[in-house]
Amino acid sequence: MWLPILGLLIGLFLGLSSDIKVPEEYTNYLSIAVLAALDTFFGGIRAHLQNSYDNLVFVTGFFFNIILAASLAFLGVHLGVDLYIVAVFAFGVRLFQNIAVIRRILINKWVSARENSQ
Amino acid sequence: MMSRAKINFTMITIIIGFMIAIQFKTVQQPVARDTRDTWELRDSIRTEMNLQKRLLAEIRLQDERLNKYSSEMEGSKESVLRQTLLELRKEAGLTEETGPGIKLTVRPINQALIPGDSPQTVSPITLKRLINELNMYGAKHISIDGERLVNTTVIRDINGETKVGTHSLRSYPFSINVITETYELAEKMFNRMHVSPSIDDFFLDNLEVVISNPNKKIVIPAHVEPITIRNMEPVDEEGE
Repeated sequence: MWLPILGLLIGLFLGLSSDIKVPEEYTNYLSIAVLAALDTFFGGIRAHLQNSYDNLVFVTGFFFNIILAASLAFLGVHLGVDLYIVAVFAFGVRLFQNIAVIRRILINKWVSARENSQ
Repeated sequence: MMSRAKINFTMITIIIGFMIAIQFKTVQQPVARDTRDTWELRDSIRTEMNLQKRLLAEIRLQDERLNKYSSEMEGSKESVLRQTLLELRKEAGLTEETGPGIKLTVRPINQALIPGDSPQTVSPITLKRLINELNMYGAKHISIDGERLVNTTVIRDINGETKVGTHSLRSYPFSINVITETYELAEKMFNRMHVSPSIDDFFLDNLEVVISNPNKKIVIPAHVEPITIRNMEPVDEEGE
């Protein structure tokens, strides 16, 4: 449970201490990649809680979603349509759904645990 | 199985953290700060104000001209055009000019001449520097050895001969005449040219520059060669 959070902190530390900067034009891509990553991450947590977690699906989903989102944004830039909004929308909706499901599962677990203890 | 999932999760959170940090840093880039101090700011304000003044003067001139055009539309359209043409010719250097200014005489240094040796030529770079300096100190019209300098005049070296436009600088001494706006400016230029470093550069070519006292009446001849313009063409006017 603590390992992923530690990983997040390590990643943040690495990113802040390194001197990598993305050119202004590409921040769109990076932000959408972050969104895709977060979506996959919460999807993974949810699958884990629902006991349907598959390692391969999770890892491939992570990279595939990032690449797909970035290429969609790229295509959008070249077509003159803000296609990256599509990805933002899809990932955003899914993110909220996943978080809601995670919350419900956690609440259920907590409630049942309390009932069991009584 | 459980530990592998954990490791995967950790890896991915590291990547997410990394991406978020980079994105954060990219977005947080500080806007370019203005680090000029008071004097520099003052200086740039002055430059801008000067520019504004010049532009206003230009606007006023054009307005006046426009007024003249419109008020004298019926009567003396021709005279206005003629005057404009004259002004333009004056600006282009196609008229003879008389005014206050100074005269620089370039002559070889006698002591440096080895008997039988021909005097060296003035290098175009030195000459260009001098002209730049004269322009910097407010020269209005310049002529070199009787050749009027206009905007398109080139000073260059052709087969070892320094040429001003089409005129060769072969015989020494030759004179550089400069006309300034006012007599005071001519005096100022005289003083400045006395301490000018570009005068010293002539020494390298075994030449010296004698600066005459400011004169109230310096004559500069008109530019006689036709001015060829290669990279401009008139706009097709659509009739009103």
